[in-house]
Amino acid sequence: MAPLAPKTGDAVFASIDRVNAELFTLTYGAMVRQLLTDLEEVDEVNKQLDQMGYNIGIRLIDEFLAKSNVSRCVDFKETADVIAKVGFKMFLGVAAAVTNWDAEGTSFSLVLEDNPLVDFVELPDTCQGLHYCNILSGVIRGALEMVSMKTEVTWVRDMLHGDDAYELRVKLLKQVPEEYPYKDDE
Amino acid sequence: MIVCVAVVGHQNNPLYLQSFTAADDALKLHHIIHCSLDVVDERVNNPKKSGPTLNETFLGMLYPTENYKVYGYLTNTKVKFLMVTTDLEVKDADVRSFFRKFHAAFVDAVSNPFHVPGKKITSKIFAERISGIVKSFGSVTAG
Repeated sequence: MAPLAPKTGDAVFASIDRVNAELFTLTYGAMVRQLLTDLEEVDEVNKQLDQMGYNIGIRLIDEFLAKSNVSRCVDFKETADVIAKVGFKMFLGVAAAVTNWDAEGTSFSLVLEDNPLVDFVELPDTCQGLHYCNILSGVIRGALEMVSMKTEVTWVRDMLHGDDAYELRVKLLKQVPEEYPYKDDE
Repeated sequence: MIVCVAVVGHQNNPLYLQSFTAADDALKLHHIIHCSLDVVDERVNNPKKSGPTLNETFLGMLYPTENYKVYGYLTNTKVKFLMVTTDLEVKDADVRSFFRKFHAAFVDAVSNPFHVPGKKITSKIFAERISGIVKSFGSVTAG
């Protein structure tokens, strides 16, 4: 029998190596700031952050699967729970909440009350269109794509724009069938 | 009551300046702040510090005028915090804890990746935090 999938990422989070939260926050801040200087356009920065997140995501999923002991998810609902409770906890140290399922069960919202990326950050008036945490949406998109789910991830609420929480909308576009003949030994 | 606070950079450039009086005497207060910078320099250039006070950031009362008292605080990166108060009886411990909170707020403000070091602090959050700290000044002992 397959090991029981963990309900939260607490155990994994406790066992993996971590860096100081401020080092992480300030490094990310410096990176976003540099992107703004280099690319000048806020929209370009959003795009670049998403692309960087995507590149992280397609690698991160392997680490996630190797260390988290989660088994295959039976449906998209379970996938959502695993992302929110295990994935976020494991890599960001905070858990997200899954809400606002649509009727078809193909899109949901991830709500983050607490976001370690944005400590200290206050958007200047010139950068109001910036999705500061756009890297997160890229990571989710990239990671899910590697486990054969095409998704679209957008920001709905952002505390830096004056909302009361961070809300990511994840929409399942289609499930790509596995491309090689898959044979389960069980 | 605190009537004015200021943050001054290491080249004596103003980073943040805020007065808390309804009356139109901001200019006068800014003048007082400006004058007290000389006193800060004097203290820094003639250090009487040794041993345990070597890392002391609190400069104490810089100079009293007729109506005001000016207190100073110098961080290790040569950023100066100044505070002008109208209170006649001020407890040293209150001022120390005020500057400690002030320093914490300043550190958080400069940690904002969109803040350019050496430029004025434009953060609204910082301004709100400072006015909160100013309002609560002395209320701990009074209440």
